[in-house]
Amino acid sequence: MNAHDWYVENRAGFVARSLEAAEERTFRDHLARCAECTAEVTRLERDLAWLPMALAPEAPPPGFARRAAEQIQGRRGRWRQWVPYGLAAAGLLLALGTGYRGGEERQALRAVLADRESRLLALEDTLSVLRGARQVVQTPIAMDGRHGGLLIFQDPASHRWCVVVHGLPPAPAGNVYQFWFITESGMVRSVIVNAETARPAFFTLPMPPVRSPVMGAALTVEPALNRSPEPQGQQLAHVTF
Amino acid sequence: MARSESLPGKASGPPEEGRPGREALALEAERSLRQRLVARDEQALVELIEIASPWLLGLTRTMLADSDEAEEVVLEVFATAWDRIGRLGDEGGALMPWLLRITRNRAIDRLRRRRRWQVKHARAETFDALPVGRMGGELDESAKPGWHVHESVHAALAALPTEQREAVRLAYFQGLTHSEIARELGIPMGTVKTRLRLAFDKLRVSLASIKDWVL
Repeated sequence: MNAHDWYVENRAGFVARSLEAAEERTFRDHLARCAECTAEVTRLERDLAWLPMALAPEAPPPGFARRAAEQIQGRRGRWRQWVPYGLAAAGLLLALGTGYRGGEERQALRAVLADRESRLLALEDTLSVLRGARQVVQTPIAMDGRHGGLLIFQDPASHRWCVVVHGLPPAPAGNVYQFWFITESGMVRSVIVNAETARPAFFTLPMPPVRSPVMGAALTVEPALNRSPEPQGQQLAHVTF
Repeated sequence: MARSESLPGKASGPPEEGRPGREALALEAERSLRQRLVARDEQALVELIEIASPWLLGLTRTMLADSDEAEEVVLEVFATAWDRIGRLGDEGGALMPWLLRITRNRAIDRLRRRRRWQVKHARAETFDALPVGRMGGELDESAKPGWHVHESVHAALAALPTEQREAVRLAYFQGLTHSEIARELGIPMGTVKTRLRLAFDKLRVSLASIKDWVL
């Protein structure tokens, strides 16, 4: 039996977590160096992934899901309570700092602070749409062999949507990705979706100034110079509420 | 410590009815839920908790034999999932097995940190003595998703020879180490390892057909 045999023999024990603490550490260190054991342990974990479901489900206490979600949100949201203090501190530092500097520099620092404040306000505004959303719809998108999605958060209180488009390749040469509102009286052209970067496109839209209620949205590929009031090109997504 | 030959509790109730295209529906539903979680949709978090918590609580209550602590662990697991959901895609895993793995690891960490085996084993004995399907009658519709997985896994465990099933129960569901199982069963440690290895080999084959989680 060579040294490696011990690891082979104890793979099941490692996955079951029935090794002693020191053995577990030794095995974990070995995994960092051994591709064969890493692959086999990964396979074993994947193959046995459903094993815990042999146990009977247990009814959670009433309201558990909502309470748990609120606790998790509250925990994550705690940092936000420090934002105003942080801004105030930053402002104070700026005020102190500018006491020693000339008027021009003070002006520049005020501009930076104003920029930060406006960004924070915009962020809070976006979050309010996301948090206020009463309906969230999503649909997959496929384009040139790549797969992504369109996600819409609909906030009825502010009559706005937050829209996320992800996974799209850059638009074909001479074309753009066009976002449309679907209304009872027809399609209404909205924004051009920028897919030139790897990051998802994320934008907030007010409802279009039309009398007909908005029923859904569509995403198409349109010639860049085409300003037709109706879609002409390939349809990538079509969702209705 | 009980040496119960019984399987981990199997809830009573109707199995999930098969329907055409169920796998495709399940995968699409999971993908949709995952996308909404990545997009920080709080309602999606509530849905995930409603769907998964009966199974995670079943696991933690059995392992920890303490309802309050079991709920604490499950809450930690959902918090972790909420923080790390974006990384799940990189790991190439499915949502429910990922949650189950985190949950079991957290429960074992708790058991080992406390080092109160005797107390826990005594409590576990009480749990083992509970009738099979003890909570089944209290489950509502939310517990139905995943029922077919429960049925399949339970059948796979039931098909193991008794001594192998017992080794799995003690190692996997009670969090005992090889040496503790050896002491518990009065057998050499090498035999424990062999039984576990043989059991896992069989379970890998039996569970291979489970690919989806019906939401």
